[in-house]
Amino acid sequence: MTRQPLLRAENLVRDFRTGPRTIFRAVKGVSFDVARRETLGIVGESGSGKSTTARMAAKLIEPTEGLLEFDGVDVTYKAGKALRDFRGGVQVVFQDPYSSLNPRHTVEQVISAPLLYQGRKVLGGRRRVVKESMERVGLNPDHSGRYPAQFSGGQAQRIGIARALVVEPQLVICDEAVSALDVSVQAQVLDLLRDLQRDLNLSYIFIAHDLAVVRQIAHKVAVMKSGEIVEQGSREAIFDAPRHEYTQSLLAAVPQVDPSWEAARQAG
Amino acid sequence: MISYILKRLLGAVVTMLAVIFFTFIIFFYLTPDPAASICGDACTPDTIVQIRRQLGLEEPFFVQFWAFLSGIFVGRTYGEGTAAEIYCSAPCLGYSFQYRTDVFDGIVDRLPVTITIAVGAAVLWILSGVAAGVISAVKQGTWWDRGAMMFALAGVSLPNYFVALVLQYLLVVQLQWLPFPAVVGFTDDPTRWFQTYIMPWTVLALMYASMYARLTRTNMIDTLGENFMRTAHAKGLRPAPIMLRHGLRPSLTPVVTLLGMDFATLLGGALITETVFGLNGVGRWAYNAIGTNDQPVIMGVTLLAAFAVIIANIVVDLTYTALDPRVRESTK
Amino acid sequence: MTDKPMLQVVDLTIAFPTAAVVDQVSFEIPQGGTMGLVGESGSGKSMTSLAVMGLLPREARTTGRISFMDEELLGRSDRQMRRLRGDRMAMIFQDPLSSLNPYYTVGFQIAEAYRAHRGGSRRAGLRRAVEAMDRVKIVDADKRVNHYPHQFSGGMRQRVMIAMALVCEPELIIADEPTTALDVTVQAQILELLAEVQQSTGAGMLFITHDLAVVSQVSDRITVMRHGRTVEQGTAEQIFSRPSNDYTRQLLAATPRLDDQVDLPEPILTPVGSEDS
Repeated sequence: MTRQPLLRAENLVRDFRTGPRTIFRAVKGVSFDVARRETLGIVGESGSGKSTTARMAAKLIEPTEGLLEFDGVDVTYKAGKALRDFRGGVQVVFQDPYSSLNPRHTVEQVISAPLLYQGRKVLGGRRRVVKESMERVGLNPDHSGRYPAQFSGGQAQRIGIARALVVEPQLVICDEAVSALDVSVQAQVLDLLRDLQRDLNLSYIFIAHDLAVVRQIAHKVAVMKSGEIVEQGSREAIFDAPRHEYTQSLLAAVPQVDPSWEAARQAG
Repeated sequence: MISYILKRLLGAVVTMLAVIFFTFIIFFYLTPDPAASICGDACTPDTIVQIRRQLGLEEPFFVQFWAFLSGIFVGRTYGEGTAAEIYCSAPCLGYSFQYRTDVFDGIVDRLPVTITIAVGAAVLWILSGVAAGVISAVKQGTWWDRGAMMFALAGVSLPNYFVALVLQYLLVVQLQWLPFPAVVGFTDDPTRWFQTYIMPWTVLALMYASMYARLTRTNMIDTLGENFMRTAHAKGLRPAPIMLRHGLRPSLTPVVTLLGMDFATLLGGALITETVFGLNGVGRWAYNAIGTNDQPVIMGVTLLAAFAVIIANIVVDLTYTALDPRVRESTK
Repeated sequence: MTDKPMLQVVDLTIAFPTAAVVDQVSFEIPQGGTMGLVGESGSGKSMTSLAVMGLLPREARTTGRISFMDEELLGRSDRQMRRLRGDRMAMIFQDPLSSLNPYYTVGFQIAEAYRAHRGGSRRAGLRRAVEAMDRVKIVDADKRVNHYPHQFSGGMRQRVMIAMALVCEPELIIADEPTTALDVTVQAQILELLAEVQQSTGAGMLFITHDLAVVSQVSDRITVMRHGRTVEQGTAEQIFSRPSNDYTRQLLAATPRLDDQVDLPEPILTPVGSEDS
């Protein structure tokens, strides 16, 4: 049976001009899709093209070649109103929570900014929507008048998530969204992302270099190397039975606690 | 690297031609009739037309422009076939009928004074400005820092013709520590030479040194916060190499940029100091020429300034490549 | 040689005018041993390492004892500490690109560390730099020595930093998050290299990281820190198989594992054309 994915990318290519006569192909034709309430993890090392891929999927940059389809509609080279509609459906959460939030804006201004950009009128007013959105990500709505610098890293990342959610998107692209966080905070944010997915039927594209983190959030995983997807499959397939040599070497390189210690602790 | 320099030089030639063209347009259309100012008191319309003919001013724009441009390369003759025929040899930047001199020769005669003032002042301000900036940055927040920055503020705020007049009045007229400035060659009388130039240098340097001190301070403070400074400390280096080698060197790149840009305003600065101290340099000549509407001189000096800026830009970029290995890479 | 510890930190307390950042931390490193300091941001682990190197900012007030090879370090003058730093104890930092000066060749920067303590000509210093680069397995060291930091990859830059740390054959190496900025495959290589270096030189190591899996692999003993205090100390095996402290347990539980997974919401696989129904 044919399924219609929420987002489908086909053969995305992206070139960057590096000199007067030299072009660097950062992404060399990648294809993937994400269903509703599904998470696609994209992993790879630096220079693998995973961030460029994410930026193309978010339409922050245009692909040089290829096709991007959102909800069955070709959005590859859309601009104007069609692009605004797309922005309402797809939001991005970035790595560094502080530098991606305007330090001179209150949390309320930060979170309601996407509504403003899209010229949306909302039921019950902006303030109510912001407070709801803050509650949903576990922030105290009474703090909506504070500035980003007054929040811890984990809370700041929650603000970023609240901002993404305020336009009720269907897909959130997380570009190394938990990489800068301490493990205990990271675990809470991952929990939050999973809860939001369950409650709001969100889809995610989750870009990360940390493979163990990706295993805790992604239904399926694409492994990128030098601008190509070398292997793609369910998380069980990628982590438990990797077929491609590069995936295997990547997994082998991840430091792990001695499994016997781990087992002893679980038992004790 | 060589192809990079050639490319830059070619660009410079194109820029210079454009500058000549636009300068020429400005002088052609927007300035008062030079014939009238040459003509003087007993002037009849006939004499003006005659002078205009002699200067070639009756010709159409492009003929005049071509005469000027080709004059630069092969020289030109004014008032050809008349009794008052004047030959201006290449490179001909025009002929001043007021001074009865070839503009290029006039510039060449006066340039040594201007260059002496400019270079001397530049050396003085770079050394003092950078030193003050370094001390300020290293002793950040102390009285050293505050004192140096107060001085810098004063230097930037005081108009330099004012400082020049005050200095001249105090040191020459009142205290009589220095003789009146007079142009002498360095080899003729080194003491007098130094006594003549020390005031223009100080005046000109004061303004610039302040900017250099502040720029050096800001950059140096940024650099001191870099991770590689921590590495330098962790290696157990002594304080002097840490500050100078690791701290100062990366802070100098923006200073070089500023130096290049200052070449553009330096002629203006020289103009004021030369005029106040009565030294016969290019700046003072231009100043007088503006007063008497001696257009060939003004135009010649304008082109000289443009030429200096273009060359300075190339020198700055080349210095960059010497200073910063990352830039060196990209020009290969 | 005695079997006294090479580095002994007793009740180390570091306070800034506004706040205390380390409170009564104690640990020791035996000859050739590795102590892992692990904790989240704000735990005081990096401050502790800077205190050992004598690199804390001037306004920091430090009390307690730090004895290195039976010599007390706290209270020493800048000059005396400078002689130790880079010679008998050396440090490797997190971000190798920003930790190297972009204006000088790597050879110059390694040689600088050598010549600061042993003197000698520029040429002799460069020869040492080539040797040190050979030891950290940088191929073509004799050519690479003249290259600038930006011409190296991330992993190679960290090798350069390690070469710089090794050039005077220090007795103690302090590695502050040395692999955090690196790709996972490169991290594995650098960890292996550090282990080899330690094996061959017998140097003691203080290894600071936030990554529990990394610390479990490199350390003999581990100190878990939180908010400037020691919460637990023990052998790697003790900490990971029988943690006695709640915070340690939480930290271990929060660390995502590669061989285990949590449940996820079921995706909605909509067949084409069924949205309207």
